[in-house]
Amino acid sequence: MPICPACEIKLDSWRSVTDHMSERAQRSDPAHVMWLNRNLSLREMTKEELEERLEAFFSGELKPWIISRFIEKFYGEKPHPFMVAMQNPSREVLLGYVIEHQHFLVNWVRILSKIVYETEELPVIRYELGNITTEFVGTESSPAHYELLLRMGESLGMKREKILSTPPLKGTVEAINTWRKLSQRHWVETMAAMHSLELVAHKNLRRYGARIHYFNERILDSQDFPEAVKNFLREGYEADQYHAEEALDLVERYAVDQERVKVTVLKSFDAFSKYLLSRLERAWSLEAEVIA
Amino acid sequence: MRIVVNGEEAGTKEKGCALCGATWGGWYEEVEGERLFFCCHVCAREFINMLNKLKQATGWDRVDELVINGDYYRGRNCEARHGERSLSFYVKFGEDAEVTTFRILSENH
Ligand SMILES: [Zn+2]
Ligand SMILES: [Zn+2]
Repeated sequence: MPICPACEIKLDSWRSVTDHMSERAQRSDPAHVMWLNRNLSLREMTKEELEERLEAFFSGELKPWIISRFIEKFYGEKPHPFMVAMQNPSREVLLGYVIEHQHFLVNWVRILSKIVYETEELPVIRYELGNITTEFVGTESSPAHYELLLRMGESLGMKREKILSTPPLKGTVEAINTWRKLSQRHWVETMAAMHSLELVAHKNLRRYGARIHYFNERILDSQDFPEAVKNFLREGYEADQYHAEEALDLVERYAVDQERVKVTVLKSFDAFSKYLLSRLERAWSLEAEVIA
Repeated sequence: MRIVVNGEEAGTKEKGCALCGATWGGWYEEVEGERLFFCCHVCAREFINMLNKLKQATGWDRVDELVINGDYYRGRNCEARHGERSLSFYVKFGEDAEVTTFRILSENH
């Protein structure tokens, strides 16, 4: 059903959504103007054009739609600056990753637990508990991503206590707050919001049109990086594609309101972008410490 | 003040918002004696907060030229000019339009 992607009011047609959005945009309402700027065009459109673009933007099966939007936002013509930095990461960039990401991961499993709590679907419960295990708990044979992350930080010369006691930057806090808000929605939407982010490390994203991979894969065979760095990156490289794809299949299977799921996913992407910038900003402040 | 956003002159309804370059909306704000166009009041607040930060960092009383490259997703790399002096910086805003990051890249003043 047609929905305003900014304020989420439901209307009977894309024509009505167009009327509503252009009226709000004319009044300079920030939520509506920003949505248009970030997703459709910076250039003001006629109502006819806007209606056509809106309808086209929201058409398409859920899973390929989410993958395409993710690539556009993070791996398109202008890839996100954090991914650019990961093509040849400095020690500070990797430590920025470690410091901000520990907070992301703790929040991650708290939100997945909310999905487990809300859903009655056994495949979803099983999937989420599996994800929580790989990301946070670990097994005897394979340590959790969270543990591998901390080891990566240690291998780069930062003490575990120092990592754990460093609070998140404002951008990370704002992003986490957005995700916590999104977790108040229907569990399918929460699932889509969270697991679409795992596309970030998807090995085969280039097949769908991504310009670069999350990190330069030569790092995995390089002598220039500590083993713990390679171990952490390799884990995501191997695991996240299955995580993301499997979760998006479940989302597709249980989603009732496709448009709402799409709108939710876009909000999550905007938060993710802000969060990734925080990793870089943390790297800059570490660089400044070294210089000072 | 001459304003260039992502390669295009900006600051009027026809040319686009002085911060992001968008032509949606119609929010006006008086900045340094000029009536500038913004797509919404958030962009206007961000622009003014950025300008104040810039003046604070440089001690300039006005800005002659501001070249902004970037957007919400990438943050913004800017180059400001005051007479013969210039400053390159990176800026990012928080959800209350406040400047959360102001990183000087190079300066000549
Ligand atoms: Zn609306
Ligand atoms: Zn704007």
